[in-house]
Amino acid sequence: MHPDHFARLQHSHLEHLTRRHFLSKCSTGLGAMWLAGATGRAWGTSTALKKDPANPLASASPHFAAKAKRVIYLHMAGAPSQHELFDYKPELQKLNGQDCPQEFLAGKQFAFIQGIPKMLGPQYPFKQYGQSGAWLSDRLPHFSTMVDDVCFIKSMYTDQFNHGPAQLLVHTGTQNLGAPSIGAWATYGLGTENQNLPGFIVLTSGGKNPDAGKSVWGSGYLPSVYQGVQCRSQGEPVLYLDNPPGISRDLRRRSLDSLDRLNQQIAEDTGDAETVTRIAQYEMAYRMQMSATDAFDLKQESPATHEMYGTQPGKESFANNCLLARRLAERGVRYIQLFHWGWDSHGASASEALNKGFMDRCKEVDQPMTALLKDLKQRGLLDDTLVVWGGEFGRTPMLENRGGGVNAFIGRDHNPGAFTVWMAGGGAKPGISYGETDPIGYASMIDKVSLHDLHGTMMHLMGFDHEKLTYLSNGAPQRLTNITKPGTKVITGVLA
Amino acid sequence: MIRPLCLFLAVTSAAVALSEERVDFNRDIRPILTKHCTTCHGGVKEAGKISFIYREKALAPGKSGKIPIVPGKPAESEMLRRLRSDDPDEVMPKPKQEPPLPAADIALIERWIAQGAEWQNHWSFVPPKESAVATISNEKWPSAPLDRYILQRLDREKLKPSPEAAPAEWLRRVSFDLTGLPPLPEDLTAYQDAVVKDPAAARAAVVDRLLGSPHFGERWAAVWLDLARYSDTFGYEKDPERDIWPFRDWVIRAFNADMPYDEFTIEQLAGDLLPNATADQRLATAFHRNTQTNTEGGTDDEEYRLAAVIDRTSTTWTTWQATTFGCVQCHSHPYDPIEHDEFYQFLAFFNSSEDCDLDEDFPHMKVPDDPAKAAEASRLEIQLSVLREQLNADGHALAESTTDWRPFTPDAFAPSHGTLAMSADGTIRSQGTLPRRCIQKVIGPALTFTAVRLKILPENDDPKKWPERGSLVSKFQVNLIDPAGASTPVAMKEVFVDHLGDFFEPGPNGNVGGFPKLEGPRWSVFVPANKIEPAPGSRLEISLAHSAETAGSQAVPVRRFAIDVSNRPEWTTLITDPQRAATWKSRGEMAGQYGAIKGTMVPVMIQRAARETRVFARGNRLAKENVVTPGVPKLLAGNAPKSGMTRLDMARWIASPSNPLTARVMVNRLWGELFGIGIVQTAEDFGTSGTPPSHPELLDHLALRFENQYHWSVKSMLREIVLSSTYRQSHRATKELINRDPNNRLLARGPRNRLSAEMVRDQALAVAGLLSPKMHGPPVYPPQPDGVWSSVYSGAKWKTSQGEDRYRRGIYTYSKRTSGFPGFLMFDSPSRDLCSARRIVSNTPLQALVTLNDPAHIEAAQSFAKRMAAAGAELPAQLAFGITLATQQAPSPATLAELTALHAAATADYQQTPAESAKLGETPAAAALVLVANTILNLDSAFNR
Repeated sequence: MHPDHFARLQHSHLEHLTRRHFLSKCSTGLGAMWLAGATGRAWGTSTALKKDPANPLASASPHFAAKAKRVIYLHMAGAPSQHELFDYKPELQKLNGQDCPQEFLAGKQFAFIQGIPKMLGPQYPFKQYGQSGAWLSDRLPHFSTMVDDVCFIKSMYTDQFNHGPAQLLVHTGTQNLGAPSIGAWATYGLGTENQNLPGFIVLTSGGKNPDAGKSVWGSGYLPSVYQGVQCRSQGEPVLYLDNPPGISRDLRRRSLDSLDRLNQQIAEDTGDAETVTRIAQYEMAYRMQMSATDAFDLKQESPATHEMYGTQPGKESFANNCLLARRLAERGVRYIQLFHWGWDSHGASASEALNKGFMDRCKEVDQPMTALLKDLKQRGLLDDTLVVWGGEFGRTPMLENRGGGVNAFIGRDHNPGAFTVWMAGGGAKPGISYGETDPIGYASMIDKVSLHDLHGTMMHLMGFDHEKLTYLSNGAPQRLTNITKPGTKVITGVLA
Repeated sequence: MIRPLCLFLAVTSAAVALSEERVDFNRDIRPILTKHCTTCHGGVKEAGKISFIYREKALAPGKSGKIPIVPGKPAESEMLRRLRSDDPDEVMPKPKQEPPLPAADIALIERWIAQGAEWQNHWSFVPPKESAVATISNEKWPSAPLDRYILQRLDREKLKPSPEAAPAEWLRRVSFDLTGLPPLPEDLTAYQDAVVKDPAAARAAVVDRLLGSPHFGERWAAVWLDLARYSDTFGYEKDPERDIWPFRDWVIRAFNADMPYDEFTIEQLAGDLLPNATADQRLATAFHRNTQTNTEGGTDDEEYRLAAVIDRTSTTWTTWQATTFGCVQCHSHPYDPIEHDEFYQFLAFFNSSEDCDLDEDFPHMKVPDDPAKAAEASRLEIQLSVLREQLNADGHALAESTTDWRPFTPDAFAPSHGTLAMSADGTIRSQGTLPRRCIQKVIGPALTFTAVRLKILPENDDPKKWPERGSLVSKFQVNLIDPAGASTPVAMKEVFVDHLGDFFEPGPNGNVGGFPKLEGPRWSVFVPANKIEPAPGSRLEISLAHSAETAGSQAVPVRRFAIDVSNRPEWTTLITDPQRAATWKSRGEMAGQYGAIKGTMVPVMIQRAARETRVFARGNRLAKENVVTPGVPKLLAGNAPKSGMTRLDMARWIASPSNPLTARVMVNRLWGELFGIGIVQTAEDFGTSGTPPSHPELLDHLALRFENQYHWSVKSMLREIVLSSTYRQSHRATKELINRDPNNRLLARGPRNRLSAEMVRDQALAVAGLLSPKMHGPPVYPPQPDGVWSSVYSGAKWKTSQGEDRYRRGIYTYSKRTSGFPGFLMFDSPSRDLCSARRIVSNTPLQALVTLNDPAHIEAAQSFAKRMAAAGAELPAQLAFGITLATQQAPSPATLAELTALHAAATADYQQTPAESAKLGETPAAAALVLVANTILNLDSAFNR
């Protein structure tokens, strides 16, 4: 049953007497139909969770007490170089300019490197910061002030070395299309705390979608209601949110009142439970118009906040998205996924070069991501908000020599063997560095962490046993941590 | 657990256990095994070397030497002993994993073993059989045989069918179900008049009109295109445009022509292999070119070629056999008796087509702009390829019979990059960094020759490590250097190759080898016009130049090769034969004629020399195992050929009446489209992990009727269902009935389904009088918010269509994989990344935002309001017209009063706000009517059929 569904409707200030009367009547009359229909036709066959089709995003309890009530995932599409940010390797500096030894090349497949490339040392100086002594390059001066709140995982690895499939693996647990994203799993498992906003919101910057397209926030084989809703920091935050020209909010309310009464009559006439749901969805849409507009209105923020994030309202930027992420987190959105773009530092062009575009990318993210952590912390939100930052793979310790030639700028090729992800808040252990790569940062060596391990750990922090949050598809109880890749472990070393 | 039991279908095993009735394996035992046993003792895991998937395995000794099941002897059956054991180390299921089995289930297993432990195949793997319905409570109710099955079940459940739907309700339902569009006002009036006189004739006339409408094909093609994962783009990162819309039009035409489903099947799976394949039959094979092509820089073309081949395999099984064949890619099927190797045997049917994940989406067929030229273009295309094969075949035979090959042994090497040297095995190897423009030059003592053979070899001789990075010689050059040092190029006149079908067309100057991958050793024989007889002391200089690249500027250099020469005069004779010159000439003319035909290049299936197919260990393409040949799983093979099957044989096997799944799966799909839920709810999975049929006898009856009475005619099958008493029931549900059967699986009432994504849009346009009836052609771009398209590395822009293309039916809307049309995605249309057998209907606030606020829906409301205004002088008449137009239901006085009040309130508001009013209509009253029209289009009855 869904008494809270109706209770919530009743508590809304926007509720009209007539609707309240009807819906409360429903909870014993028409509404009761859902009790029998809870495994209804819309929902296929779920193996573990019973969802109320009338309110599939109702806030739900996880398997055990969760440290993280919500997640903010900052994806740096293109794959930032660990060698220029977090994974300091003096040994690599010594090898700079030498031919890559054969043993590093045998049996390896690269996206662009051909033949025998040269080794490439770190391009920026490193120093230790904070009480924790975290190593950082000089590219992230703001971030260096927050390292004691951060948990670095230096030993990430993947098995995909092309952006599209690697991003799919990061967000869906498989490199192939068709599986649900982490945010879809999170909203399937936990619902959302604010029914007046989508439970899973995606914000992109750089004017581009991720390489893998919208599937990285898709619902895959889960019902489509769990897919991420891409919102925009320019124009309408949610597609079709605004009333059309000529229809004021009052007139919209007036027309919805009529629509509700007419639909109530239809529900009485047909006995169709979906009609009852539809009435509720229209009310939710009406409230979402106000809630989403409010949530996305950055003008409400103080000049000090804008200064801290480096935000300019009305612009599409990673900074704006970071501030929006904090506003959405405050409002109970379950999963907030940000994509920044342009980290593919091959050196084939200036914008994608370690000695050019990479510096700009660092500037674009350093201040706002640091502000986000500080802001969450000062508002007491960091404790139960898990922030995850990372790309889809790492970069080679070799200088890229595309097609066997010489690139115009300095860059590195894709490297699935090692990359760094950091987490903060939401039950992640602050001020530590977990795992190690080999002396040149080429492959994870100690305490290796696969993407499935990361997923299992995120699920754990959200209160789920990753093996038990499942959904029947293709004949098997599927899960985020890919049933075809057994052996996922929760990384206890990163748990606070 | 794994297998959800449906409320109505669960047979209480306890009841059977108590009676003396014979235990039925499928009904009583299989569900227990699937729920409690096969996770560990199944197709994936065989703990203790025991599996309950095959009878022979369950009757054989396990690792312990004990036999799980001894037919007729429960006391000797280890399974029973372990189920009842008190020892925590012995009892099954293991106490840590699951509670013990209910005693009734164990008793049932015991009786089944005592009765001989007979095994049955899962219901869907057994051919359908007709079971007559003897007695029903009301002989007058059925109007089709199918109704008897429904009523028999209702009798058993002590339920009665609902009364017949009002004419308008049935007319709306059947119009949407058959054509995807609402009935026109005149259709409604005509039907309401006719039904009074002769109801059966009136209904039949409606159905025949709808089945004859060209819109029928558009509505049903939408269903098929979800299965075909049809899209107007490649997918993956850059997601560029793919011109494959002629296939969408083929599907529409096939449905409209009522092409029998067996032909429809064969043509899409193997139309290219039919004898004298027509242009349309070849176009049909674009079904399996709707797989994605990855153009991301630096991707491995073999990885994504195989991804497409695997997708073809899984899609074929989901679409035609509703079997979760994808499981078998990594291991034997966990629940159904399909073995790991059998996945690869089936995959082999698709593994030998020419396509190989190239950015060009190669190969294509030309679909001429002028349909009258379709046959000619296709004939020329085939003829060009046949002649090319013939021209190559003569040299191929000669090369095979030549025994005087003598090696050319270079003694000097001049690589532009890397190193070049003879290796111990007599081949020449190249190492180091070999960029795209590299040239490998070898020089040695000249030989006399009439032909030069270049063998391009993989670096590794183990076929399990193939394919390797591509190895393509773009230019093959032989120079003769006389003793004085003067160099003369040897002009080659022809080249013969081991097989054709590569992206690059081999020529006397080069383009030979393997691209984008080297799948194994390749050879090519270059023949000069005359015998080359060098003066003593001359040298030969042979250079291999490279210019091809795969996605992301990856070079494809030759890394190992060998050169030898032949002196046979037959080479010169062959290429100087005047007849041969004539053939080349006529082929050239043909190519000219073909080139002159303007058209769209559409990717289709084209067969080439067979690729070797190996089993992938745990589905990993880099861990290849044994070689397999094409074949179908033993479980379902029936009378399929035992060996040597082609893709066409496979298609015929699927389309054969002896295949137990094909007809069932299709009638279930038709049923599901009409009733909202299939007889088997999991339309994509008829296996053990799917849901069992609600009416198994009905499903079999329909399947046999579809095959035998109707000879696979979809229209005939649909006609029978929509005219049945079951379908014609009122959808009105009493509270009691909803409590009994919330999802209407028993069908004691008629269906009430939400409109599909396309129907929501099409209805709004139809009601507004805006809908364009134009059929076919390239996809269109109705209004979409700015900035929705933003694929990386892609300059593609949404160019909003002008004129009638703005108002075309939804099926013609541009479908971009990485960024679907928002209004459709929100109404549950799939992304078309993969085969989708079912749209799961959701009901969300975002849908409300679309139909309330989308400018396209407001434009429709404005146009709809104008039609209403023109329909009568007074508001009530206008409203009645509008509501009837949108819902086919005459409004009640209360409804009219509600909308009249809304109109009055809005008019009053607009009189105060003339600027706002003007944005919607010319006068405040007109603007208010737009708001009312928008409200009518959002009525729940306008969302349902």
